[in-house]
Amino acid sequence: MNATAAAVRVRKGPRRWLRSYRVMLRWELTSLRLFIPVTIAVQVLAGAGFAVGIGLLRDLSSQEAMFLATGTAVITLVLVGLILGPQIIAQQKANDTYDFLWSLPVPRTAAAAAWTTMTVLIGIPGMIAAVAVAGWRYHLNFHLGWSLIPAVLLTAGTAALIGYALAHIIGNPMITMSITQALIFFVIGFSPVTFPDERLPAWLDRLHDWLPFKPMATVVRDALSPGLGTDVGRAYAVLLAWFVAMVVLNAVVLGRRE
Amino acid sequence: MEATGFRAEGITKVHRNGVLANDGISLSVAPGEVFGLLGPNGAGKTTLVKQIIGLLRPTSGRLWLGDYDLVSDPDAARQLCSYLPQAQMPIDGFRVREAIQLTGRIRGGRGPALRRRTDELIDALDIGPWRDTLGVKLSGGVKRLAGFAMAVVAPGSLVILDEPTNDVDPLRRRLLWDVIRQLGQAGTAVLLVTHNVLEAERSVDRLAIIDHAKLIADGTPSALKADDRDNLRLQVMVAPGAVTPPLPGWVLSSTRVGHNLMASIAEGDAATAITWARGLVRDGTAEEYALAATTLEDIYIRVTGAQPEADAAEPARAGS
Repeated sequence: MNATAAAVRVRKGPRRWLRSYRVMLRWELTSLRLFIPVTIAVQVLAGAGFAVGIGLLRDLSSQEAMFLATGTAVITLVLVGLILGPQIIAQQKANDTYDFLWSLPVPRTAAAAAWTTMTVLIGIPGMIAAVAVAGWRYHLNFHLGWSLIPAVLLTAGTAALIGYALAHIIGNPMITMSITQALIFFVIGFSPVTFPDERLPAWLDRLHDWLPFKPMATVVRDALSPGLGTDVGRAYAVLLAWFVAMVVLNAVVLGRRE
Repeated sequence: MEATGFRAEGITKVHRNGVLANDGISLSVAPGEVFGLLGPNGAGKTTLVKQIIGLLRPTSGRLWLGDYDLVSDPDAARQLCSYLPQAQMPIDGFRVREAIQLTGRIRGGRGPALRRRTDELIDALDIGPWRDTLGVKLSGGVKRLAGFAMAVVAPGSLVILDEPTNDVDPLRRRLLWDVIRQLGQAGTAVLLVTHNVLEAERSVDRLAIIDHAKLIADGTPSALKADDRDNLRLQVMVAPGAVTPPLPGWVLSSTRVGHNLMASIAEGDAATAITWARGLVRDGTAEEYALAATTLEDIYIRVTGAQPEADAAEPARAGS
């Protein structure tokens, strides 16, 4: 047998990074092959169900319906990132496969980028379902322009990176999952995502100016229904800052050795 | 040759909780050499391995692979070393062939050469019938073999195998050892972590025994046995329900593991020992006996004071 051993070249640089990213993306997609269809189905049901269910409480004005529809789109994008990362990494830690995965010869940032890409891809069908079902149910017309691309990528990407960093920083997977679940309740119940910010106490609204969730809602809302979001430029700036901060945090966390 | 191999120099690792896991461990593995790392559970073997592949940082000491400083460049360490952990590989969603080939691509392999190497490994390990089976449907042994193939498909300069034969049937174990030998012939250094002393004795070129964080013995299997060269091992299967027979004075040392009573004796006492053991079988105290050369397991028990894979141990009393 021709084992190609002895002379192994150590590779560095952007070409290796890109190659690692591509092959790790394939690894992640294959690894979750049995799990992804179910996750997407749950996402689609959750998005569609949320959009229709809230409307059953009372008749919504078309502006309220638009808020609900666009907010639900954001929630479906955020949910995957906050839940999937911690859950999968908890599993890897529980069955001892975490060490093998981190012994693979790929730049850690390429592995994180592959993970983020997959999470964003999984989140998009649920978002489409939420928007489509809400559009049909409440007779809404959405604007589908190019600004949807950065809005969706920044929103889903930032959420995925937050979940990923938490899963790696915190040693005990149960604590990570509790924290991300609390975050999800905070996003759904106490963040101006599916309802306007004037419904919140002033101090909480001010806090949300600096957290990522309100800017996520603002940019996605502005992309789907221009004019509905206010202070869009600032929202992009805050969200981009969060995204960059999470990229840096992940790079630091994944590079450390105890 | 030695210059391009693996060297650990005075590796000490104190965990954050203050536990001393490795205490000044030095060892080297030459290219093409199969090196066994033996020791009881908790001795510090896995901690040492995790430092080699860059998952932990040594508190002090250096790790070299050729000219590469593995401690200061963990990214190079991961490119140069491949690793089969003791736990099963995370391949539930993969078909066997796909898992091996994709790992090969991650490790820098590509094209027809990688496909050929994958198929060769599948044939060499006799797991062809499961080539296109999903990991979730595999038995433990086949999954283990697939994991082994993943670790050696593009092996790098050092392959670290942690209990590679766990769950694998005896016939395929032999095939697995053949593949390990071939890795050696191609110039790869192999670090084999195991509790299975008998298997290690047959398969490694050299070995080290680690106990309580320290390296307590190293050398070739025959060098380690040198002190016991003139001794033999008498093994007596005590009949179920029978008490351990009183041991004659010519027994040098003994242990009992389950029904298995093992005694070390001098070569000159062989005839006396056979007569004694025959007597035990005749009166029903023992079911059978065997006299054989001292094995590495005897040495391992002597130096660690532990018993490999022992679930019940009761020391035999010295008698008349």
